[in-house]
Amino acid sequence: MSETQLLKVEDLSVTIGDNKILSNVSFSLDKEQVLAIIGPNGAGKSVLLKTLLGIIKPTEGKIEWAPNIRVGYLPQRFHVDLYLPMTVAEFLNLKPTREMTNEKALKLVKVDTSWLSRKLAHLSSGQLQRILLAWSLLDNPQILLFDEPTENVDVVGQESIYSLLHTLQDSIGVALLIISHDLHAVYRYANNVLCLNQKMVCYGQPEDELTVDKLSSLYKDQTFFHHDHDYGTIKIDAKPEHEDKA
Amino acid sequence: MTELLTLTTLSGILVAAASGIVGSLLTLRKMTLLSDALSHVALPGIAIGIVFKFNPLFGGVALLFVGVLLIWYIEMKTRLAVESITGVLFVTALSLGALLIPEQDLLEAFFGNAQNITLEQALAQAVISIGIIATALYLLKPLALSSIAPDLATSSRISQPKMELLLLILIALTIAVGISFVGVLLMSALLIIPSVTAKNIAGSFKGFITLSIGLAVIALLSGLVISRIYPINPSFATALVSSAIFFISLLIKRPTR
Repeated sequence: MSETQLLKVEDLSVTIGDNKILSNVSFSLDKEQVLAIIGPNGAGKSVLLKTLLGIIKPTEGKIEWAPNIRVGYLPQRFHVDLYLPMTVAEFLNLKPTREMTNEKALKLVKVDTSWLSRKLAHLSSGQLQRILLAWSLLDNPQILLFDEPTENVDVVGQESIYSLLHTLQDSIGVALLIISHDLHAVYRYANNVLCLNQKMVCYGQPEDELTVDKLSSLYKDQTFFHHDHDYGTIKIDAKPEHEDKA
Repeated sequence: MTELLTLTTLSGILVAAASGIVGSLLTLRKMTLLSDALSHVALPGIAIGIVFKFNPLFGGVALLFVGVLLIWYIEMKTRLAVESITGVLFVTALSLGALLIPEQDLLEAFFGNAQNITLEQALAQAVISIGIIATALYLLKPLALSSIAPDLATSSRISQPKMELLLLILIALTIAVGISFVGVLLMSALLIIPSVTAKNIAGSFKGFITLSIGLAVIALLSGLVISRIYPINPSFATALVSSAIFFISLLIKRPTR
């Protein structure tokens, strides 16, 4: 593993029960880089993230993190019980290790400190996502794992979370590993892209890898593409999905 | 006599406080039915205590631990929901207990009897309750986090199975010390109703825990006082005060969403 590398994954396979979820996945992530993971429903994207985090045990292969690395994680789903009596400050205070104050973390995600006294259950999904991002920044991570939600977050919310992540990358130099459903964002922000459908279908720079041929074979009939004339890129309209749960 | 009464009351306050804090963690984890069912698992242990003439409290604790480990183990091995496994154990334990406990003692095992608590028992209950409260407060953050956001807890290196086992042990101990006050059938009066009431009216996590503890203590103390004035079992009075507060809380603040 080289000096600049934060994460190196070699020949990773995950089998749960009789189902082979991932086979022979290899990639690496350097400091301050953005790696996007794309793929259809049930491709094993969330499982990959959870395996990197140690929530799921790998069956084969090697996951190597830089020594003493601090990893932040934004889960895809975080359902808050509507009657949960907890303020934003109390939630942030549950973080076991921290390198900065709640106020500083909120400032980084461009949220007013008056939110600290708001009830967690009263936040919209987009607002909750920002609080989760603040949570993951509290221990000043060198790498942030972001499992993009496929539901419940409106388009405006999604756009702002990407520009926010991009700003963070500039301001605190955090590397990003993102599961994305938004090819436009992948084109715009990612240094590398990994196409996943149980095995690796492509891995490289978005300009080289995101061709219509490769995308068609990756998504098969799950999605349909249309050209986006404003950006000259391809968008994917995913069907409603519920299959990505680990 | 007055010394015993004072000690029983003091022990009751500590038992209720322990129930309030453990109950609030159960409510967060949506395991409220579990404690209700788990309390029945103590019955065969109480039976063994009565039959072999040692303190039934210790028999109850022993059986609860066996029950907790069984639930935890079966859940890890089979992925059945904790509540389903508890359901099976609950029926088994209830029938075994009812079969083994002599008929004249059965009512006391079901509904408790604070008036029959001995000095030795009151002391043991007080000490165990202090242990429960101290552990729960010390580990409140990881316990709360693993209940409301399991994934975030795991990614913060908090072990989910360990937290689950810890919570089960705390429940078992709380039930063991609470049984002589409210019996196995009315344990929810201390564990569940106060925390559900608190959840309904609290505006913050701190308020939730504090209220849950306070309401459990008020319910048990009122139960003990009422049973001094009227000739009824303190457990019925405690349970009715507890649920009365719950219904009043609905009037104070109706859930809006």
